[in-house]
Amino acid sequence: MEFFNAYVWPTIEIIFWILVIIVPIILGMAYLTYAERKIIGAVQLRKGPNVVGWFGLLQPIADGLKLLTKETIIPSGANRVIFVIAPMTTFVLAMIAWAVVPFGYSDVSGGPEPEKWVLADINVGILYLFAISSLGVYGIIMAGWASNSKYAFLGALRSAAQMVSYEVSIGFIMITVLLAAGSLNLTEIVLAQKNHGIAHMIGVPELTFLNWFWIPLFPMFVIFFISVLAETNRHPFDLPEAEAELVSGYNVEYSAFIFAMFFLGEYINMILMSAMTVVLFMGGWLPPLDVSWLNWIPGPIWFAGKVAFCLLIFILARAALPRYRYDQLMRLGWKIFLPTSLFAVVAVAGVLLSFGWLPK
Amino acid sequence: MGFTFTEIMPAWPEIFLACAAMGLLVLGVFMKTGAARSISWLSVLALVATGILEIVVVPDGGRVHIFNQLFVADVFTTFVKCLILGASAVGIIMSLGYNDREDIARFEFPILILLATLGMMMMVSAADLISLYVGLELQSLSLYVIAAFRRDSVKSSEAGLKYFVLGALASGMLLYGSSMIYGFSGSTNFLQLAKVLDADASAGIIVGLVFVMVGLAFKISAFPFHMWTPDVYEGAPTPVTAFFAAAPKMAAMALFISVLVGPFGNLVAQWQQVLVLIAIGSMLLGGFAAITQSNIKRLLAYSSIGNMGYALIGLSAGTKDGYSAVLIYMSIYLVMTVGAFAVVLCMRREGRMVEEVKDLAGLSKTQPAMAALMALFMFSMAGIPPLAGFFGKFYVFLAAIEAKLYILAIIGVLASVVAAYYYLRIVMTMYFTEPVEDLDRNVGPELSTIQAIAGAFVLFFILFAEPVVQMTNQAIASLTSG
Amino acid sequence: MVVQALAFYAFAAVLISAGIMVVVSKNPVHSVLFLILCFFNAAGLFVMMGAEFLAMILVIVYVGAVAVLFLFVVMMLDVNFTELREGFARYLPIGLVIGVVLLIELIVLVSGAIPIGKASGPVAKAIAKQPSGHNTEMIGRLLYTDYFYLFQAAGMVLLVAMIGAIVLTHRRRDGVRRQSIAKQTARKSSESIRVVDVKPGEGL
Repeated sequence: MEFFNAYVWPTIEIIFWILVIIVPIILGMAYLTYAERKIIGAVQLRKGPNVVGWFGLLQPIADGLKLLTKETIIPSGANRVIFVIAPMTTFVLAMIAWAVVPFGYSDVSGGPEPEKWVLADINVGILYLFAISSLGVYGIIMAGWASNSKYAFLGALRSAAQMVSYEVSIGFIMITVLLAAGSLNLTEIVLAQKNHGIAHMIGVPELTFLNWFWIPLFPMFVIFFISVLAETNRHPFDLPEAEAELVSGYNVEYSAFIFAMFFLGEYINMILMSAMTVVLFMGGWLPPLDVSWLNWIPGPIWFAGKVAFCLLIFILARAALPRYRYDQLMRLGWKIFLPTSLFAVVAVAGVLLSFGWLPK
Repeated sequence: MGFTFTEIMPAWPEIFLACAAMGLLVLGVFMKTGAARSISWLSVLALVATGILEIVVVPDGGRVHIFNQLFVADVFTTFVKCLILGASAVGIIMSLGYNDREDIARFEFPILILLATLGMMMMVSAADLISLYVGLELQSLSLYVIAAFRRDSVKSSEAGLKYFVLGALASGMLLYGSSMIYGFSGSTNFLQLAKVLDADASAGIIVGLVFVMVGLAFKISAFPFHMWTPDVYEGAPTPVTAFFAAAPKMAAMALFISVLVGPFGNLVAQWQQVLVLIAIGSMLLGGFAAITQSNIKRLLAYSSIGNMGYALIGLSAGTKDGYSAVLIYMSIYLVMTVGAFAVVLCMRREGRMVEEVKDLAGLSKTQPAMAALMALFMFSMAGIPPLAGFFGKFYVFLAAIEAKLYILAIIGVLASVVAAYYYLRIVMTMYFTEPVEDLDRNVGPELSTIQAIAGAFVLFFILFAEPVVQMTNQAIASLTSG
Repeated sequence: MVVQALAFYAFAAVLISAGIMVVVSKNPVHSVLFLILCFFNAAGLFVMMGAEFLAMILVIVYVGAVAVLFLFVVMMLDVNFTELREGFARYLPIGLVIGVVLLIELIVLVSGAIPIGKASGPVAKAIAKQPSGHNTEMIGRLLYTDYFYLFQAAGMVLLVAMIGAIVLTHRRRDGVRRQSIAKQTARKSSESIRVVDVKPGEGL
């Protein structure tokens, strides 16, 4: 019984919470693909999926079932082990990052200790997220190499260079955020956007959305979002899988379930990166206005709403923008974003220090 | 704990040099054409300014430790740094014409020399094993790159790669030794180490010390860690070789002195034995291996190995006179080497470099002034009185005899007799063989000026030997004042 | 405590076996992947020691950047590794001797045959000063105060590495037409389009 209390019960509990996080994310991912097809359809004056279920709502489920039941084909020249490990890597990395993402915070005045709604409340949460997102390239590069195919390899090479380039500016932008927040803990970063900032400065504390970092760090917010597009290999930076040139790039040899894992991993990565944007710049779970009926809506709902907003921009960018050329991509990353964000680190630190705004 | 700007005054020259290097780097990138020449002259200017700053901020008397005892400044460091700065400036000036002619003139070259110089200054001022290592790496990394600077030539690339691989090995040994010393004494700080270590140090310390000495011996290219020297000297572009033979040697030797005298001052008995062996080996190798060389750059490489051996005699004496003899020896060596290489740089025939000793044949008839100067440098290196080289050898042998290292002194004298053979062979070639073909004459005013100045120094050293000796004595006095 | 001990042994065992695999595996790409596994387990050990900052930096820098480039290069190069291995037997004795010497040294150290000095100096002092607090903050404080000089010096070393890489590899090509985005966007239709009245059957 002691063994049960000490080891088995905590394990069951943690597995329960993991499921509470993972299941909505996978469901969300399924409907993200649906939303993408519907929205792009609307932009292009088509209907999008509309046959399976009402308004095509069962389409993602049908797609998933199809992929699950198909035969997995492994090319004869492929390196079998790495070929199979690659999609798993992408998928697992996209999932484990969610451990540190804070979904909410319950602070009942006069109640018990405030409760952080996060699976693992670690000190260096932002570094953890950055570390995991910087590993995403491995799935792609392993897949490209193990496929033993030219297109796949080209895609992998492009992706490796692209992701390494844009990570640099993402890292610097994170530094500006954590200079302003004074902590590497994600919950603390969100809380730092709650009670002081521009709304208090101009004397309208109800407009809490003005407190979020997206206003004081606006240029960083924009650069961050663009870098995130590049980091997730989304349009207009989808060179690793450019259909027109590489017929799908690094995952050209993949089929059935292992392809589905790539697909899952990629879309969950999009959601994750949106969540990161929300935590760093858009006040996490905080409601946009400090009025009672908005405060009454639980944090996770706000969080999901903001993530959905970011994803909408992801999709609209895909619908609207043509693909970058490779040298333009590199130029943007190294010659524009890197110097700008590097300068921003100095500027933000200087401003915080000289005006005495450094967080304690 | 923070630092105010005046607190770190002894480091101003380093800070200035670092800023100058970075500023010139930016300037060089934005300048369209002709960047190499103007950046070179600006770098020389920066080095001179750093030297002046160095003299301005020198602490009078004792030693000043700053940056949490990682950095030290005193008369000794100032003396050495001024020599290094001078050698680097001359190195840049010597490279100007060569780089232009060989079509490798790029503005990064003087910048890398500036950064290497910064590394050397940091080495000389190191007061902690970590700052020693970082300074050494800064210097070595820059030198690896400029060894391979003529990247289209296979020989130059090979020189750079060889230097890099062996240099990395030496750095590894130095680090390993440092970690042993840290593990067994609990500190990396020189002051702390000097306090903790006494004559009966544990075996771990001794092993660590030997590893550190191996790393440093590599940097001054002393036997048995000299293997890289001839190849790198031969492969690297000639002005780079000239630079290698001068400034880094000075810096590494000064570091050798300050490490052995400072933290390991109580372990004289232990390091003396190792040094004596290294010195004997270097002198003999420098003497005998050079005899068969026909390439003048290789010959000068072996000559520098031998010269390091003589300098180490003074260090192994373990006395103040010995240390100051090392400084005198190194200063004279610096000037002689620079002069000799300035002559080697003039060895061009039909616009191409020639590097064989026999290409100097009959130089006395075709270019008598240059031949006379070269002869002067060779006689001085052979140690013939009353030239400068004689005094260098005289002081180190004197220190060895005073320290009762008779055998070492005798071997030193014998080795210098052997070495005199090949120095005189060069003179013979110049004066007693018929000229094959004339060397090119349009070498530019920079090289002849450098030759002339070096020649004057070598010839008239006897007149101002006294103040130089006094200066070195003062430097050593401040080094050993604790 | 049992869980911690188990985790430690798991990390350590995987670390060591992956380290061995780095050396013995035939395919260089596998070697790099095992190296990455090594880094991960080392990061895990750091976390267990309470050095979470170091763990994350290890993953970000070594796994996220350095190893990617390693992998990149190893995949691109077509090195004949059987040829490289030919010298293996020749150098094995030297390697073994060095390995054995290091092992003996470690054993001597661990057995306590030689007295080891106590840690002093800035690190020990700083740890004593701030027994609590995040180690991220402590590392930052140390780097920007006590070790400020070394921090800057290391920066200079990296600068030299960068200059060196550029000097030795960058080639300026002549006749490359560069894209000038400002020029492109500043272009107006009035400058670039001309309406020509073309008569039927004649052309321009």
